[in-house]
Amino acid sequence: MNRSIRPGRIAVHLALVLYTVIAIGPILLIVINSFKTRRAIFADPLGFPDARTFTTIGFDQVFAKSDFGLYFFNSLTVTIVSLALIVLIGAMAAWALTEYRFPGNTILTLYLAIGIMVPIRLGSVSILRMMVELNLVNTLTALILVYVAQGLPLAILILGEFIQQIPKDLRDAARCDGVSEYRIFASIILPLIRPAIATVAVFTMVPIWNDLWFPLILSPGDGKQTITLGVQQFIGQYVTDWNAVLASLTLAIAPVLVLYVFFSRYLVRGLTAGAVK
Amino acid sequence: MSTQSLQTSLPLESVPRRSGFPMHIAVFLAPAVIVYSVFSIYPLIDTIRLSFYAGDQAGIRHFVGWGNFRTLLADPAWSGQFWNALRNNLVFFAIHMVVQNGIGLGLAMLLSLPRLTGGSVYRTLIFLPTMLSVVIIGFIWQLILNPLWGIAPSLLKAVGLGSLFGPWLGQESTALVTISLISVWQFVGIPMMLIYAALINIPDDLLDAATVDGAGPFSVFWFVRLPLILPTLGVVSILTFVANFNAFDLIYAVKGALAGPNFSTDILGTFFYRTFFGYQLQVGSPTMGATVATAMLVVILIGVMIYLFGVQRRLQRHTF
Amino acid sequence: MADVSLHGLAKSFGPVDILRDIDLTVEDGEFVVFVGPSGCGKSTLLRIIAGLENVSAGEIRIGGRRVNELPPADRKIAMVFQSYALYPHMSVYKNMAFGLKFAKTDRAEADRRVRQAAEILQLTPYLNRKPRELSGGQRQRVAIGRAIVRNPSVFLFDEPLSNLDAALRINTRLEIAKLHRELGATMIYVTHDQVEAMTLASKIVVLNHGRVEQVGAPLDLYHHPSNLFVAGFIGSPRMNFIKGEVRSVTESRVTIGFAGAEAVFEGAVVRLAPGDPVTVGIRPEHMAEQGSDAIPLTGRIDAVERLGEASYVYMKLASGDDVVARIPGDMETNPGDGFTARFTPRALHVFDAEGRSVRSAKAL
Repeated sequence: MNRSIRPGRIAVHLALVLYTVIAIGPILLIVINSFKTRRAIFADPLGFPDARTFTTIGFDQVFAKSDFGLYFFNSLTVTIVSLALIVLIGAMAAWALTEYRFPGNTILTLYLAIGIMVPIRLGSVSILRMMVELNLVNTLTALILVYVAQGLPLAILILGEFIQQIPKDLRDAARCDGVSEYRIFASIILPLIRPAIATVAVFTMVPIWNDLWFPLILSPGDGKQTITLGVQQFIGQYVTDWNAVLASLTLAIAPVLVLYVFFSRYLVRGLTAGAVK
Repeated sequence: MSTQSLQTSLPLESVPRRSGFPMHIAVFLAPAVIVYSVFSIYPLIDTIRLSFYAGDQAGIRHFVGWGNFRTLLADPAWSGQFWNALRNNLVFFAIHMVVQNGIGLGLAMLLSLPRLTGGSVYRTLIFLPTMLSVVIIGFIWQLILNPLWGIAPSLLKAVGLGSLFGPWLGQESTALVTISLISVWQFVGIPMMLIYAALINIPDDLLDAATVDGAGPFSVFWFVRLPLILPTLGVVSILTFVANFNAFDLIYAVKGALAGPNFSTDILGTFFYRTFFGYQLQVGSPTMGATVATAMLVVILIGVMIYLFGVQRRLQRHTF
Repeated sequence: MADVSLHGLAKSFGPVDILRDIDLTVEDGEFVVFVGPSGCGKSTLLRIIAGLENVSAGEIRIGGRRVNELPPADRKIAMVFQSYALYPHMSVYKNMAFGLKFAKTDRAEADRRVRQAAEILQLTPYLNRKPRELSGGQRQRVAIGRAIVRNPSVFLFDEPLSNLDAALRINTRLEIAKLHRELGATMIYVTHDQVEAMTLASKIVVLNHGRVEQVGAPLDLYHHPSNLFVAGFIGSPRMNFIKGEVRSVTESRVTIGFAGAEAVFEGAVVRLAPGDPVTVGIRPEHMAEQGSDAIPLTGRIDAVERLGEASYVYMKLASGDDVVARIPGDMETNPGDGFTARFTPRALHVFDAEGRSVRSAKAL
């Protein structure tokens, strides 16, 4: 490389910094302003709160008027349980499809792959009807079932690719020892696909956590709202209370932000790993 | 061969039974297939089925064949909104393809430059909006673009473009583009990451060889990197297509079910929701909702088919 | 064709020094091999000559012209990579013609050159194939063809044979040697394999930890290694090193004691005083002397490797030193047996306490 790259590099960093500001600026703006008094929000939107303008009244409002903790808990439950089921059931299916040859293997694989391209939302009319009949409206279970169905195809694809890379020798050796297929799966395969779980987690957790559609349709009330729906409803109700609105947004962002800061490396790695597929 | 067996009820894989399907395969497959079929495939098929029925005042449903579709496409009471939603969705998609994927490609290229300091920091930060709920994004931008608060106008004034500002979200002529750009802002991270992964997958040797061959940075990109990431660009395109024609959350969060002003931000997803659940003046109709859903399914399938048979066939994925 | 000269070259990546104080000249038409263990900096040196890396200090001249500031394309070099680095989406023809596009060569001329190179390398039937349809050896030839087509002043090879299997490696080695004879081009070749270095080079540069250890013709390095490192690097199996001591020094002869034996050399040897510790080196192939003046070293056999044309006997001497002896033909002896290796003083290399050669073996 020649030295003339140097000035070019500066331009590169400039562009990247510019876009980074565009990317996180609005988010920072909200967080900063959620700690300011109403007057300060309007007078000096870009400034940090100082001793005079710092306040938490927005947050107090949010906690007083809405069940934020509950919504967060709902989201957490739905997301984690869905992910766990998707990984377990998906791994089982991926294992069966990639390992064993049986009539209908290819067709089944294609059948499951359809779900990657076709969005499950389109069947919502029937899904709601089913949930009504099963008495699952306004339950977290309904959400979990739907999200698992939604997340399985892609998870099976990703896990399948990963399982195929596990050396055949491991399984053959176990079979020679007379280990049952279930045992092979549980003791050998499951522990080895842990890296793939990060990839699956990225592609499934975020859409589930942030989804508005299914909570809106299947569990809009009875304290079963997810955080996304909860924030939307709250803001709809208190739209003129800027402090409360900003506070609720900040609270909604906070858990994701914290998790992201800690797990971003795995998330990015998972995304780039899965992307090559 | 050892005669020990940890599960005596199960036959060894090495001793195949000609009779009957190996039990364990079914056990492994069953949960996934059942959940998927019941909650994904069956509802889709049922929705399609429902679209061939209509309900009357008493709530009794009867078969109407293509009737609902004719209504949707031609009946003034419905077709106006349908075609409007479809048209808006296409605009929505076009903006995403050009702006979102264009910026994503650009960022990916910059981030994949060799020995870029702070690359992972940039990636992490730029990807942040994608992690957030679309509801949050929608409100953040509503606040920022709100003339009352004054952030957007004052920022624009600072760069001398103050005269450009207007109540973009509230104007019929600009609302759709504005909301599309907000959506682009949120999701740029995804094409950025996918294309970045494909770019760094290209061995450095290849780029060195091109440099030795005399290619400048632009030529290296155009003749070597771009052709090798075409399959990824294809995947990004079809993912954008499916996501865009399935979109709903942002518009609903910002504009509500009516997708105003005057349906200018109405896309198929919001149209579907409104048709199904109804809104102020109109009762929801499951059968027409099903019809809209089926129409959306057809649109998406057409796109996927074009991709699978027209595009993907031509794109060779090169492994290194 | 051109010569390449490096003056005072140094390269660091941050605080780490990769190359130090390199002064080298490659004459026009020479086949020079940079050889050394992993991490010695040879690939970095090659990339610096190519222009893929900047130097931290020093000057590079190709054909008399200073090229430090020039990009690779302007240096009139061509490079063959270890991984071949063929463009997977282009046909063999396009792969080879790619560089010509940027040199603004006209179509007819480019076509002529590509076909000529394909002819030389027997690639003509494959011109329309894609790299993935070719075998490893064929791909390597395409990589070489891509270099030939550019008509460079200097060919640079970066461990081109490492990815090939053993038989293919030998064949391709011969082809590269033949290519050099036919084209008469200046070639700089990097490898960690000293066999490749010995067979291909007209001049070898041995590198270690970023420094040049020795430069010379292959047999020069074999017979007269200037230090312990070069002595141990060139020649396979490795030279035997035994610790010893200077017994006595006179004006005309030196006596060295090692492994329970004594060797006497005629001739003055500078820098040695009685009592100095030395390292004695004897190549395994010189441990089976039959002559009457051969000095015996006895020991017990640890292992024997029989290759048919020779046997390698690994033994532990009575003094405790481990040595390898190469015995031509089959050997009946087995591990555990006693064995006697024999050498003549003329085959000894002597290295002082710093590892520098004090005496090399005389021509045998």
